[in-house]
Amino acid sequence: MLEGINKIGDLEWEVPIGYVADMRVPGRFFLSLALAETLEEGAVRQLANVATLPGIVKHSLAMPDIHWGYGFPIGGVAAFDMTEGVISPGGVGFDINCGVRLITTPLTEADLAGKKRDLIERFFNAVPTGVGAKSTLRVSNKELSDVMVNGARWAVERGFGIEEDLVRCEEEGAMPGADPGAVSAKARQRGLPQLGTLGAGNHFLEIQVVKEVVDPEAARAFGIAEGQICFMVHCGSRGLGHQVATDHLRILESALGKYRIRLPDRQLACAPVDSPEGRAYYGAMVCAANYAWANRQVIMHEARKVFSGMFGIDYDDMRLIYDVAHNVAKFERHDIDSASAEVCVHRKGATRAFGPGAPGIPREYAAIGQPVLIPGSMGTSSYLLRGTTTAMQKTWGSTCHGAGRVLSRSKAKKEVRGRELREQLAGEGILVRAPHDAVLAEEAPEVYKPSHEVVRVVHEAGLSGIVARLNPLGVIKG
Amino acid sequence: MSFEELDHTADVLMRVRGATITEVFSDAGRAMFHVMYGSCEDRGVKRRFALEAEDLESLLIDYLSELLFITDVENIVFCSFDIDIEGTRLSAVARGEPFDPARHAAGALIKGISYFGLEIVKEEETYAVDIIFDI
Repeated sequence: MLEGINKIGDLEWEVPIGYVADMRVPGRFFLSLALAETLEEGAVRQLANVATLPGIVKHSLAMPDIHWGYGFPIGGVAAFDMTEGVISPGGVGFDINCGVRLITTPLTEADLAGKKRDLIERFFNAVPTGVGAKSTLRVSNKELSDVMVNGARWAVERGFGIEEDLVRCEEEGAMPGADPGAVSAKARQRGLPQLGTLGAGNHFLEIQVVKEVVDPEAARAFGIAEGQICFMVHCGSRGLGHQVATDHLRILESALGKYRIRLPDRQLACAPVDSPEGRAYYGAMVCAANYAWANRQVIMHEARKVFSGMFGIDYDDMRLIYDVAHNVAKFERHDIDSASAEVCVHRKGATRAFGPGAPGIPREYAAIGQPVLIPGSMGTSSYLLRGTTTAMQKTWGSTCHGAGRVLSRSKAKKEVRGRELREQLAGEGILVRAPHDAVLAEEAPEVYKPSHEVVRVVHEAGLSGIVARLNPLGVIKG
Repeated sequence: MSFEELDHTADVLMRVRGATITEVFSDAGRAMFHVMYGSCEDRGVKRRFALEAEDLESLLIDYLSELLFITDVENIVFCSFDIDIEGTRLSAVARGEPFDPARHAAGALIKGISYFGLEIVKEEETYAVDIIFDI
């Protein structure tokens, strides 16, 4: 472990006040010794920088997929007091509500025999993918406001899904507090042609098989069984969200003097939660988050149509288990020193993991805790977990979001050839389709920490419980 | 004068150097489009814009963000940038070509330009800046 960090539990570490100047609270993160080898000093410094922000409550936290980002570290979680505290786009990221949803089908692996390549091709044709991809959907500017306020509900009302889908999304697919007036004309211009597109980078649409059920009771409640074919959608708010982050980062950066906020990193630009600038960012961020829920809803709809067309299964038999956000700031009630209080929780590359009985999770999952979805890197397992009471007590009901990179993209491109990787994965029964082989190298399995180790840490630390492991069979990449 | 990619696990970190501030801005544009699209040729597509910011670092971020916006909305791939800077006021002419999936799809989509560690420094005869692109 790096110098200056104290071990406070089997998998728990503390970054003491003083690690960087002006820290108001200590930092805490969760990591195994195996993962500690890949911990970057820069990521710990970013975790400590977050602890300098006004109104931070208890700790600056990071999950075991912690790595070096900008502003908050990736895997960073922090809560801020609603009056003394701040809201920061640096605690959310440029891809607002980048997230994941998991859908089951009534099919088994045998049903896919000989049809997998055709299925992947149809997915690739149904969902616009990669840099420069534009949607076939026509949305007016007025309708875009509706998307930004109503999120996944807009999509369901347009026929892209069924009513039951909504309750199985975090925030039921639309956060309250959207302020379309705080979204610039530029953000709208970018958002209009991109609704229903996957994007690029680590975003994907993946066919998976449930390889192992670890927690049968929770699996039953979530409606998932061993051998079942599922699919997973991973994407965010596209250019609209990127522009909202860019616009408001500049506004907040210019307002720092007004609120006398001194920062160790300009990317942590922020304003009091209840200030004109803070409220405007929140209202615009909610719009982008809701756009992302509509986006994943539309993509799921297209994938369901492909499945029913090819296999003759009912649209309604493809059940959405849950949809989670990875990059978002929210007003949530939590217990602080035995009293309940509202705080502004930032999760940047972290997943909400509310435990049994927590408010805001679907009634059908109330006894189990919310489903948590951890996508694997290309070619590795993804996991379905459940939220826990421990997460509520230790991490504002949060857990990891993915594997976390260990190799830079430039090194990955030198060490991995896209085409060879595609052929190697095909040899393992995993078909990959992307606009260009070069994009595959940057997302090769070896550039990520092993997802099983990250998931093991959150499971053993009690931040969430493993329910099932899913293996990839085919993936379309952006 | 030049740009080079440095190691960064999550994002793309570019070091840009120039004999003048305008050269730094021009090469920062080239670096960004290199990450996004790889190669590019000037085929007569031209866009002109002007910006003002409170300091050079914010101006650089605004300038790159404006180029990101134009490429996202208009599907233009830029390869050369004529920059004029007076104080913290910039005018730019960007030249390039329409996006072509056959030639431009091998790059990475940039989501934003980070303030983290972004500082234009003078090194003897040259100016240099490290820019993190979120991808």
